[in-house]
Amino acid sequence: MSEPTNRSSIASGSHPRHRFFRGVLDRLTIGLSMGGVVMMFGILLLIFAVLLNGAWMAIGHIGWKFFTTSTWNPVPGMDKYGVLAFAYGTAVTTFIALLLAVPLSIGCAVFITRLAPPWLAAPVSFLLELLAAIPSVVYGLWGAFVMSPWLQTHFEMWMWKALRNIKWIPVGHYPGHRTEYFPANLVHGGPSGSDFLAGGLILTIMILPIITAITRDVLQQFPEELEQGAYGLGATWWQTTRLALTYCRVGIFGAAVLGMARAIGETMAVVMVIGNTDRISSSLFAGGQTMAGVFVNEFLEADHPIYLSAMMYVALTLLVSALLTNLAARVLLNRIAPS
Amino acid sequence: MPSDITPAPTNFQHHEWGPRLVSALAKILCTAAAAVALLLLFVILGYMVWKGIGGLHWSFFTNLPLEEPMGMRNCIVGTVILAAIASLIGVPIGMLCGIYLAEYSPKGWSTAVIRLTLDVLAGTPTILFGVVVYQIVVVRPQNYNGWVGHISLWAHRVQSWLGITNGYSGWAGGLALALIMVPIIARATEEMLRLVPLSHREASAGLGASKAETLWRVVLPTAKAGIITGIMLAIARVAGETAPLFFTAFGNDTMVYNPNRQMPSLTEQIYNYSQSDDPHWRAQAWTASLVLVSMVLVFSAAVRIATRKRRIRTH
Repeated sequence: MSEPTNRSSIASGSHPRHRFFRGVLDRLTIGLSMGGVVMMFGILLLIFAVLLNGAWMAIGHIGWKFFTTSTWNPVPGMDKYGVLAFAYGTAVTTFIALLLAVPLSIGCAVFITRLAPPWLAAPVSFLLELLAAIPSVVYGLWGAFVMSPWLQTHFEMWMWKALRNIKWIPVGHYPGHRTEYFPANLVHGGPSGSDFLAGGLILTIMILPIITAITRDVLQQFPEELEQGAYGLGATWWQTTRLALTYCRVGIFGAAVLGMARAIGETMAVVMVIGNTDRISSSLFAGGQTMAGVFVNEFLEADHPIYLSAMMYVALTLLVSALLTNLAARVLLNRIAPS
Repeated sequence: MPSDITPAPTNFQHHEWGPRLVSALAKILCTAAAAVALLLLFVILGYMVWKGIGGLHWSFFTNLPLEEPMGMRNCIVGTVILAAIASLIGVPIGMLCGIYLAEYSPKGWSTAVIRLTLDVLAGTPTILFGVVVYQIVVVRPQNYNGWVGHISLWAHRVQSWLGITNGYSGWAGGLALALIMVPIIARATEEMLRLVPLSHREASAGLGASKAETLWRVVLPTAKAGIITGIMLAIARVAGETAPLFFTAFGNDTMVYNPNRQMPSLTEQIYNYSQSDDPHWRAQAWTASLVLVSMVLVFSAAVRIATRKRRIRTH
């Protein structure tokens, strides 16, 4: 038997040819997996390159005014493009969604981790995760044919009757010099069913499972000793829970920001209930449009270069805002659970 | 034992009725939140079943949209083909990324950069993948200049070499969905590989296996169930995607098997039908939703239940 040349062949006692193939396998595996990583970088670069390249003309022609004007007039020759109306739609629907989904999700997570008996907590947790598996177009269908009509005839009607004559704070002027008051302005125009409120409500349902799941996981990390200590000092269930929520506040905030990122990028469900008009109104009952939704409505109709380029500018804006929100969420969530 | 220990203040707040009332109220509110969320789930699913079950005949699965009675065979097949193309492209790339991250990536900034890239990809609104694929694959690369023009031209050459035509096609739709899959699968693979105990690797190395041999013959088989779960969930996720398909697969009313042609899908057809005033078409949208959600939910629920106990085979 020949002298072994390295340590790995001591153990396997293999033939040199075997060693050769093993070297090939090692190099092939590392090369292939690096290739996968390179392709992933390529995809990201491609996204930025294509969007920047497409938006280049609009960036040159419109520049910063794109973010300060809300006129969207794609008629050839007129060509006025401002993203503000769409950004406003995204912001308002996201805000409504967070306002409702965050307390609801925290309630669900507290119920699952601290209130429900184990036989109930597991199925509830599972069912709420199923909520995330429903495709967004199905949410949109339900929203458009069930939620919107109900909103129009019941909830918004009731809200309109309750708020239309309450004029506490003057906040501006409608066209025609009538003063706009809060909170009556929120219901200005009467119930429509396809409006910012409907968009916000459908987003609420859609971001609920993700915020609930993360808050649940974060709450489960609340140390047993602190809980026992709190009870030992005579704290009630709610006082202990409040301690847990305070202890986990960074994670819960991260969950909310991640939900916000989801809401910004969500397209189909919102486009089907929001009414699709490009204007800015302080009324919750006014139709609107979101940055993602405008693509469904107009991208394939963008028939002249500056129009298409302005659409790509919207895409770039959407990408950057979604990414910044996502990264903020990651930073927050990595702080509590460094992976 | 030190003698200066003072007993804890006997602050029996829970005997006072104020905090107890607040606590009871909070319990009721939390239960109510969970009840509302569950109610929403049941209302949405219930409505869908109620509206959709009427259209659930055999003809739905055997007929085409323009036949009488209406069916959506082409859309079901289209969704399956699109998911298959997406898996074909997305699974290898995603798995390789995950393998690199878990096995080869040195600790430090490069891992952080790869993770960041995955997060960025996972956080990109899915409609933008449709926009990008539209610009690269669907439209002809004549309007480009500069280095993006070069990328586009090369993409076009590769495309022609593979026999993929320009225009809306199943390939374009599948590619858009594949880009959505990559970060999901990479994350799942990495997570599962990291769960494989170090003792397995050490035992394998002790027997003289190299790093790659250990990976292929010990680590990957151990993590197989978990990785397959991740892949299945990713497939279920992209089967429900609509937005990126508008600019890529576009949809079709006829039966299509050739991915070079416009490809129908359940999600896109649901949207198209939902925009019409015809009650028959709307009914079709509900039935299609029922079929799609059943497919997705059964798929993901089955995967979750099957692998809940042991995602990792440790013995």
